[in-house]
Amino acid sequence: MREISMREALKEAIREELLRDQTVHIWGESIESKGGGFAICRGLTDEFGERAKDTPLAETAIAGSAVGAAFTGLRPIVEIMFSDFAFVCGDEIFNKMAKARYVYGGQDGFSLPIVVRMKVGGYVSIGAEHSQTPLAPFMHAPGLKIAFPTTPYDAKGLLKTAVRDDNPVMFFEHILHYGARGEVPEEEYLIPFGKARVRREGDDVTVVAIGYMVDLALKIAEEMVQDGVSLEVVDPRTLQPLDMDAIMRSIKKTGRVIFVDEDVTCCGVPAELMARVYERLTEAGKPPVPMARVGAANVPIPYSPPLEKAVLPSPEKIAAAVEKVLV
Amino acid sequence: MKFTKEDKILLYRNMVRGRKYDEELVELFAKVKVPGMWHSGIGQEAVGAGAATFLRKDDWLEPTHRGYTFGLAKGVDGKRWLAEHLGRATGFAKGKGGHYVAPKGSGVLPFGGTIGSAFPISAGAGISAKRLGKGQVVVCLFGDGAAQRGTLHESMNLAAVWQLPVVWVCENNLYAVTAHLSQSMAVKDIADLAHGYNMPGVIIDGQDVLAVAEAVMEAVERARAGEGPSLIECKTYRYRNHGEGGAFPTSYRTKEEEEEWKKRDPIVLFRQCLLDEGDATAEELDAIDKELVQEVLEASRWAQESPWPEVGQAFTDLYAD
Repeated sequence: MREISMREALKEAIREELLRDQTVHIWGESIESKGGGFAICRGLTDEFGERAKDTPLAETAIAGSAVGAAFTGLRPIVEIMFSDFAFVCGDEIFNKMAKARYVYGGQDGFSLPIVVRMKVGGYVSIGAEHSQTPLAPFMHAPGLKIAFPTTPYDAKGLLKTAVRDDNPVMFFEHILHYGARGEVPEEEYLIPFGKARVRREGDDVTVVAIGYMVDLALKIAEEMVQDGVSLEVVDPRTLQPLDMDAIMRSIKKTGRVIFVDEDVTCCGVPAELMARVYERLTEAGKPPVPMARVGAANVPIPYSPPLEKAVLPSPEKIAAAVEKVLV
Repeated sequence: MKFTKEDKILLYRNMVRGRKYDEELVELFAKVKVPGMWHSGIGQEAVGAGAATFLRKDDWLEPTHRGYTFGLAKGVDGKRWLAEHLGRATGFAKGKGGHYVAPKGSGVLPFGGTIGSAFPISAGAGISAKRLGKGQVVVCLFGDGAAQRGTLHESMNLAAVWQLPVVWVCENNLYAVTAHLSQSMAVKDIADLAHGYNMPGVIIDGQDVLAVAEAVMEAVERARAGEGPSLIECKTYRYRNHGEGGAFPTSYRTKEEEEEWKKRDPIVLFRQCLLDEGDATAEELDAIDKELVQEVLEASRWAQESPWPEVGQAFTDLYAD
C-alpha cells in the first residue's frame, strides 16, 4: 500500500469532502496563501475558490462564524492555528457550539455540523502559548465531540467522519505528527468515532495513550521487552465518544493500567479515565486494579528545551509509571 | 421602500404586540411566575418592528435579549415563546433553553446570555447567505453595551472584508446595564464605528418606526444586491430597568430624563402619524389594540397552564445522531 504523510492524509480528507458536498467550506488564517498554519490546505483555494478562504487574524470571528454558518446551511471546517488560541474563542466553542443543540431541545432535527481543526503539542520550544495540548477543557464541555488521530490512516478516516458528523467536532492534530508517514489506501474509507485501536498487544500493563503519547508508549514498549515487560498500548482515537469497553477489555487482560496524556496532569483526561475505570470495576463488584498516570507537570510549558523536556511526558516517565503499577 | 397603508398597519400591530407581550412578562415576573429573568424592551419597539417586519421569511435575524418585538415581527409564535420562557414542555425547546431560543424556521439566529456573541454568528450566517446564493440577508440587532465587545470588531471587519450581506442595527438605549454610554465608549455615536470598516453608517431616530424600517430596508436591499454590510444606529430608550426584580439601582439616570423620553413613545407617535395621514381611524386602531391584548392574555393563560417538562428531558438532545 502507498505511504503518505499525515499532512497529505488530512488534505486528502478535506479535498474529498469538498468534492463530495457543496456545503462543505473551510476557512481560517492563511488558508489560501499558505494552506493554513501548517500547510495542510495548500492548493485547495486554487481548486475550490472561495470555499477555501483566508480569514482575518481573528479566532472569535472564525469560530463564531462557523456557528452562524452551520446553523444556516453550511458545513464549515475551520482552522484554529494553535489550540492555545481556542481560548480566544472560548465563548463560541463552549457556550455556543457545545450547548446549541441541547438548548434548542433538538427541535426539527437540530444540528450544528462544524469541524474545528487545531494543532496541539509541545516538544518544539515554541513557548507557553503555542505548545499546549488542552484536551480536558473540551472533554469538560458536554455537547462537543473530540477526535485525536495518531496515524495518517486514522487522520484521514476520522476527519472525513468528522465532516459528516452533525455535531461540533474538535479535531486535534499533533505538530510532530504532520510529517509522520504511514499506509493509507487510495480508496475511500471512514473510521467511526468511539472505536479505540489496540496499537500493540501485550500482557502485563495496559497503556492508554492519547495523541502523540502513543508514539512515546510504543517506543518504550519496545525497550521494555528486554526487561521482560509486555505493554499493551491502546489508542482511544476519540475522547468523545470514548470507547471505555475497549479500555476495560485490555485491563481485564493485563490487570494494570497507566494513562498517558500530554495535557497538564491536574484535572486532566487521565484523572477522568482513572475515575471511570474505578467506577466500572466497583460497579461490577470487582477489586480495583493498580493505576497510574503520566501527564505534563502542573506548570505552563516552558520555552527552553531542557526545561520543556523536564515538564512534558517522556518514554522514561512512562517506564517509571509502568514500574509503579508492576510492584 | 414605499410603505402602503397595509404595511403601516402591520408595523403598528407588530409594535403593539411586542409591547403587550412585554407588559405581560413584567406582570408575570412580578407575580414570580417567570423562573428566570426578564429584560423589558418597553420603549424600544420601533427598532425591533422596523428592523424585522419587512424581511423575507428566509432572511436571518439576530435578536437581542431585550423584549420580544423583533422575534414576533419575524414570525415567531409568541405563545410557544412565552411557554419556553416559563420553562414549560410546550416551549420551542421543551423549556430547556428559555427565551433565548426560537424555531429555526422563523429565521431567528441563535442568541444567548453572552452579550456580543451575536456578532460573529451573524457574520457566519452572512457567509451562508452569500455562498448559498439565494439572496438572503442577515440583520443583526445589538445594544450599545454589546458594541463595547471585541467581537464587534472581528465580525464587522470580517463582514466588510468578505462583503457579506449583513445589516448591523444598533438599538442604542444609552445604558449598558447601568453605565451610560459616555462612561464606556469614546465615541458619542456608534454609527461612527462604520468608518473603521469602510461601510455606510447612519443615525436614525429610534422612536420613529417608519424611519427605522426605511433605513433598514434600504440597507437590506443594498446587501441583497451584493453591495455589502452597513451599520444603522437607532437612538432609543428603555423605560424600565436593565432587568426586572429590583436587583438594579435606579440612581444611574434621572426621572427627568426618563420622562423626557416617554414624551416620544414610539407607539403613541406612530398612532398619531397613522391618524394624521388618514391611514387608520382611532376606532380601527383601538380594535387592533383590543385584539392584541386578548391574544396575549390567551397566550399567557395557555403557557401558564402548560405542563412542566418530564424530568427525563434534562438528559436528552445533547448530540445529533
